Amino acid sequence: MRSKSITLLVIVMALTLVLSACAAPAVTAAAGTAPAEGTTAANAAAPTPTATLKPGQVEVRWFIGLGTGTDPDQLAAEQEVVDEFNATHPNIHLTTEIVTYTSAFDTLATELASGNPPDIVGPMGVDGAESFHGQWLDLTPLIEKTGYDLTQYDEGAVNFYKTGGEGQLGIPFGIYPSVMYYNKALFDEAGLNYPPHKYGEEYVWPDGTKSVWDYDTVRQIAMILTVDQNGNDATSPDFDPDHIVQYGYVPQYQDARAMGSYFGAGSLVAADGKTAQIPSEWAAAWKWIYNGTFTDHFIPDWTVINSPDWGAGDTFGSGRVGMALTHTWYYSEITLEDWDMAAVPAYDGKTTANFNADTFRIMKTTKNADAAFEVLTYLLGDASLKLLNTYGAMPARIADQADYLSTVEAQYPWKPDFQVAVDGVAYADNPSFEAYIPNYLEARDRVVNEFTTLIQTTAGLNMDDEIAKLKSDLQIIYDKQK
Amino acid sequence: MAIGELLNRENSREKTVHLHKLTPLAKREALTGYAFISPWIVGFLIFTLLPMLASLVFSLTNIQLTMDGPLQWNHFQNYLELFKDPQIGSSLLVVLKYGAIALPVSVLIPLLLAILMNSRYLKAQAVFRSLFYLPYIIPFVAAVFIWGGMLNAESGWINETLRWLGVKSPPNWVDSVQWVYPAYVILGIWGIGNGMLIYLASLQNVPTELYDAAKVDGANWFSTLLNVTFPMISPVIFYTLVLAIVDLFQYFQIPLVLKNGTGEPGGATMFYNLYLYKTFFVFQNMAYGSAMAWLLFVIILTVTLVLFKTAKYWVYYAGDNSR
Repeated sequence: MRSKSITLLVIVMALTLVLSACAAPAVTAAAGTAPAEGTTAANAAAPTPTATLKPGQVEVRWFIGLGTGTDPDQLAAEQEVVDEFNATHPNIHLTTEIVTYTSAFDTLATELASGNPPDIVGPMGVDGAESFHGQWLDLTPLIEKTGYDLTQYDEGAVNFYKTGGEGQLGIPFGIYPSVMYYNKALFDEAGLNYPPHKYGEEYVWPDGTKSVWDYDTVRQIAMILTVDQNGNDATSPDFDPDHIVQYGYVPQYQDARAMGSYFGAGSLVAADGKTAQIPSEWAAAWKWIYNGTFTDHFIPDWTVINSPDWGAGDTFGSGRVGMALTHTWYYSEITLEDWDMAAVPAYDGKTTANFNADTFRIMKTTKNADAAFEVLTYLLGDASLKLLNTYGAMPARIADQADYLSTVEAQYPWKPDFQVAVDGVAYADNPSFEAYIPNYLEARDRVVNEFTTLIQTTAGLNMDDEIAKLKSDLQIIYDKQK
Repeated sequence: MAIGELLNRENSREKTVHLHKLTPLAKREALTGYAFISPWIVGFLIFTLLPMLASLVFSLTNIQLTMDGPLQWNHFQNYLELFKDPQIGSSLLVVLKYGAIALPVSVLIPLLLAILMNSRYLKAQAVFRSLFYLPYIIPFVAAVFIWGGMLNAESGWINETLRWLGVKSPPNWVDSVQWVYPAYVILGIWGIGNGMLIYLASLQNVPTELYDAAKVDGANWFSTLLNVTFPMISPVIFYTLVLAIVDLFQYFQIPLVLKNGTGEPGGATMFYNLYLYKTFFVFQNMAYGSAMAWLLFVIILTVTLVLFKTAKYWVYYAGDNSR
């Protein structure tokens, strides 16, 4: 009898152990509540919150984390927006799911696979959205049904979301044009004039001669700004490339697609949607970057870029780099002071200032499309300025851009020329460098991770061979998608 | 395979327990024993066997986490794709290249260290044993990040020291195709404390009578090591070798943490298991990833079986009269 009791007890203990191992994590987020300020968003990585709905009310779940939006101050702003929406829309209960960027892809994919996806996702860029290609709702019927006014946005910005024959997959919200950031102190020290702020203007050399503001001029300036430990610049025959203390240029946080598209808009897939291609402008850009890194030495290689002495990734922010080409989301991260913005240079007579754009999208699996669209228009409308301000994005709505400019300019005592950013919108890349390519996740990885690091880490490459290999590999990856 | 199983396989052959031949008391005791190990059995069934079977099923379908179309049987299409995918061959080649350096080091260095720790001439043995074992208890990811900083060609103290010693162009360690494998091997030596401990335990189990007999026969230190020590600890060397080979094919944590799984420099660190991980979790192609996992299983099983076939030529089991 006693041994039977012991056996039974052991079995119960065993089952308890197994069941407790199988149980869901205890951390759950209350409906519609963001984590307290100071807690990490990872802690808030929320299983689906379950709202207590009133009769006649529908729940709309807003997934945040596939782009920006999970910093503590952003969470607070988002919570205010949710509270305001819920107070003014008794028919809908809006709840948030906050997941850190590193976990957001897996979380959303798992929710999709388990048949429990959110209704709205964002803010996110094209890259985040294309990682879930085919999952977004065409908004055209809802826009027509509600008479939503698209003329308040630039037509190009609206068409930006009309991709792949899938309809209108988004409405413009926040944009991040490209600018050439430059360190005024390093230009002053080298006795160089600042780069032009107006598109179409030429660069004026100290002796008064002028050059077209293109990548050849950037190269010449950057070599003068690149200095070794003996004080020789990269144009000097005595220059020591093994002991560089200051660089002229860095493609700040730019992957190979972005690097390529600055020389001209293009796509890695041909018009048939199946054949791999490398735009000639992109190949030229990659060679320019590669030669600038390993031949002319005015661009830091990957080791330098990631070194703590050089800002551990934020190379321009280290204060030891003259120029950095990147997007406007970067200005809020620069720890350096007294930087300014210049126009994006031209290549072969044409300027392409690629841009990042964030918006919210509705998943096509939503069961409450009308309610989700009502939330979407609220986020793009009444809540937009509050959210844009916390995300650091320029409003896509033309009427809001003047206020944006005066607000951001007031934040910097040295008055950077933000008008450059506004002017850059006219030179946006179309198609976007982040646009869909077949077997997106694997193809993106081949270009963004492998090829980008290859050309920034490995000296002695034959770039024509590497570009041909990339094209060949991409074709294999595209062909995997049946 | 557990070390105890290796060392006692003869004994385990002899004793097969049949419940129906047991007395009621012994039967109750046996059932109690099974009840105690049932958490492990249930855990194994749910968390190991079931996922394995699921992955086998996945490998025969077109399943992806974010799939747009219907779930379909793919038959053996994913397995056929493996032979067309150039990344499979190149990632296996990466494993072999790295293994050519890493395998001897991971088997021999702990052995040599254990012999040193077992030497009666070594003072403060306990202190040294603790010191060599300590790195093993450091959280792995933290250690990799620290090593990443130390090996940074620009600001790491290893290169700073080399420059101070007069080396003008010290290695670009983890960013150089030539140096990345030696760098990873050096990083791996950090965690050899466990291997050393296993060897040390086996060295201390060698009967002292054998050493005494060797001494009487006039054997010197090296001869004793070769003819007494090595044969007696050969099952443990065999066990370590098997585990090292399994670890080699499953190697991916260091390149994942240190290089974010990019395979840099120049694809030199795109190990097979890293490619598998990315296919499954980054590209979310669960069907193809499952096929890759089963290919890896077959490769490891084949290599292990071959290794077991060679064991009879060099592994000595005390008390084994089967040969």
